[in-house]
Amino acid sequence: MSEEALIKVERASKKYCRSLKRSMLYGVQDVIREVLTLDGNAERLRKNEFWAVDDVSFEVMRGECLGVIGRNGAGKSTLLKLLSGVIPPDKGKLTIRGQVGALIELGAGFHPMLSGRENIYINGAILGLSKKEIDQKFDEIVAFAELSEFIDTPVKFYSSGMYVRLGFAVAAHFRPDLLLVDEVLAVGDLAFRMKCFQHFLDLKNAGSTIVLVSHNMIDVNRVCDRVIVMEGGKKTHDGGVSAGTATYESHLLKTSGPVNERAPNGAASIERVELFDLDGKPQSDFETGDDLLAKVTISAVRNAPQARLIVHVMTPSLGTLGAFSSPHKGFTFDIVPPGVIIRFSIRAMPLLIGSYSLRLNLYGPEIKDFLHTVTNAASFKIVGPPVDTFGYGVCHTVCFEHDWELIEGSTVNGSINSRRSRT
Amino acid sequence: MNSSANNDDSYSSLTADTLTAVVYTPQSTRDQGWHIWRTMIREILNSRELIWRLILRDISVRYRQSVLGYVWAILPPVVTVTIFAFLTDSRIIPISQTSLPYVVYALWSIGVWQLFAGCLTACTNSLISAGPLVTKVNFPKEALVTAAIGQPLFDFLIRLVPIICVFIWYDVTPRWQAVFLPLTLIPSILLALGLGFVLSITNLVLRDVSNILTMALTFGMFLTPALYPPPTSWPFGLINILNPFSPLLIASQDLIVYGSLTMPQAFLFSCLFSILVFLVGWRLFHLTMPRISIHG
Repeated sequence: MSEEALIKVERASKKYCRSLKRSMLYGVQDVIREVLTLDGNAERLRKNEFWAVDDVSFEVMRGECLGVIGRNGAGKSTLLKLLSGVIPPDKGKLTIRGQVGALIELGAGFHPMLSGRENIYINGAILGLSKKEIDQKFDEIVAFAELSEFIDTPVKFYSSGMYVRLGFAVAAHFRPDLLLVDEVLAVGDLAFRMKCFQHFLDLKNAGSTIVLVSHNMIDVNRVCDRVIVMEGGKKTHDGGVSAGTATYESHLLKTSGPVNERAPNGAASIERVELFDLDGKPQSDFETGDDLLAKVTISAVRNAPQARLIVHVMTPSLGTLGAFSSPHKGFTFDIVPPGVIIRFSIRAMPLLIGSYSLRLNLYGPEIKDFLHTVTNAASFKIVGPPVDTFGYGVCHTVCFEHDWELIEGSTVNGSINSRRSRT
Repeated sequence: MNSSANNDDSYSSLTADTLTAVVYTPQSTRDQGWHIWRTMIREILNSRELIWRLILRDISVRYRQSVLGYVWAILPPVVTVTIFAFLTDSRIIPISQTSLPYVVYALWSIGVWQLFAGCLTACTNSLISAGPLVTKVNFPKEALVTAAIGQPLFDFLIRLVPIICVFIWYDVTPRWQAVFLPLTLIPSILLALGLGFVLSITNLVLRDVSNILTMALTFGMFLTPALYPPPTSWPFGLINILNPFSPLLIASQDLIVYGSLTMPQAFLFSCLFSILVFLVGWRLFHLTMPRISIHG
């Protein structure tokens, strides 16, 4: 594959208006300016306008799969619309090479009264295909969508999953140089999603470039070579996938920040939680299997005897993974003003690449003696080693210790015995 | 050369070392000057297949969930004409002598009017009814507006059935020059298309447009000599001349009755006007569509 950029985005910006009435007014103004070929105020923000995509530059090479992640409203979908050419940029320049396929709104051209068969032809025509091309691909499309039984049923009787399957099958079954995918797979069931990913990988191997917008970090890890993180219209990360997803998740944690719940007029509260590595250096990046040390500073206005701490380990997407308490290890402590400092450790963390946070609960001896809870009291990232999402290594969140042996039957060539597992 | 021209063989673009680049900038449509017409014509030509598919879709969907089906294309004009024929006959509304028997005259004229009005309405609403296609998919949106004339055109062809019936019933034989009738219909379709280009885009931003249009067309029908003979008295004679659609309708009536035009200059002027409106509307559409698509 030659190293050529199919996408080249140079300082592109796009603005939107928050108010409907104003957007109508601006729309009319822009049209009049355009008609009179006056230079508009495209480069300035007018009242109620904001940059949905703000000064973004990047390139994507042939055969590369780029993931775009970010929170809702970060500008991901606007960026895809700029790439597909539906809307022009207000500033900057986009150069797109080759034929573009966009999976932005699946089944956008479907007519509810028409059968799946008729809709395939219309949707194909919208995508720029001739009848002959669709004829050739028709059986493949129907088979991929698993709709052969329902192909002559009006699509208004389709379930939402069937609808999306048909839309995906039509849009993905011609070979675009550049495929833009916007969070469209959320509706399909797991089997269909896996089929879609296989299809992406096949396209990628055949030299297509893919841009995938997703909120699902596992999906992004599965197919992308590179990730862009969008934040408030700006590009805040461009590079490795696991680093990007971890950046995004830790950003999610940071923006939510520590959340406090205090007992009214409580005797003591958690001031701060600091994380260190084994050598005592402040640290927020760890690897799977590392030890983590945490220092908890607690302040007090009155005595609080026999206090206990409970620690929850959480992820932004899965919630609480597990929790442990100090009394479990026979540790309770008396708090006296002005306060105390506690240290605890988590040994050999069985966590895979991603972002994690700690929630700490401070209690007296009984459950009614609740003092303070801090969610997102501290956060850390696991940055390595890499995971494997194709079923040849470990992936997702927890790293299990596992061993394998053959206890009955014979091996073909001893490969099962010889491939010892290692975690 | 052009990426969209590669559709015949999508593999070829993958193996080709250099692909044609499309550049999007804030002024990309404006910078091309007069060459833009070449782009516009190419876009429309490349959309032939799509336009045809959309027309077939609209026609086949239109009456699918109804019992009477295509009768609905015929019934409204027949009812209108029946009412007016009754009102005229019983002298409630005094309408002066028409060049053809009244029912024949009115049914033909209403048919031509509804072809124009139908095209204009369909074009104006074409972008809104396309929904997410406008905001989410990149393809020449001219196809949506152009394809919208398919349905009214098809309805017109169906309406020819009752029209031919009344010609036979009243024993009216059109002049042989009636074969040139399409030449009077094409300008009115171009006029509707040109206005439709502008109105469809305006309608995306201001939904008032379709309501205003419905009202304007009701007025328009009575300002056009469809249910009465062309007026000559002040001020209706003037309105009749200023109305760009009237000469086209009158020309069609003339071809049937006399085989020659009674107002050739007005007809020629209307034709040129229609072509101009079409070209300007098309250009405006092409110019403003990218800016407006977010309102869809």
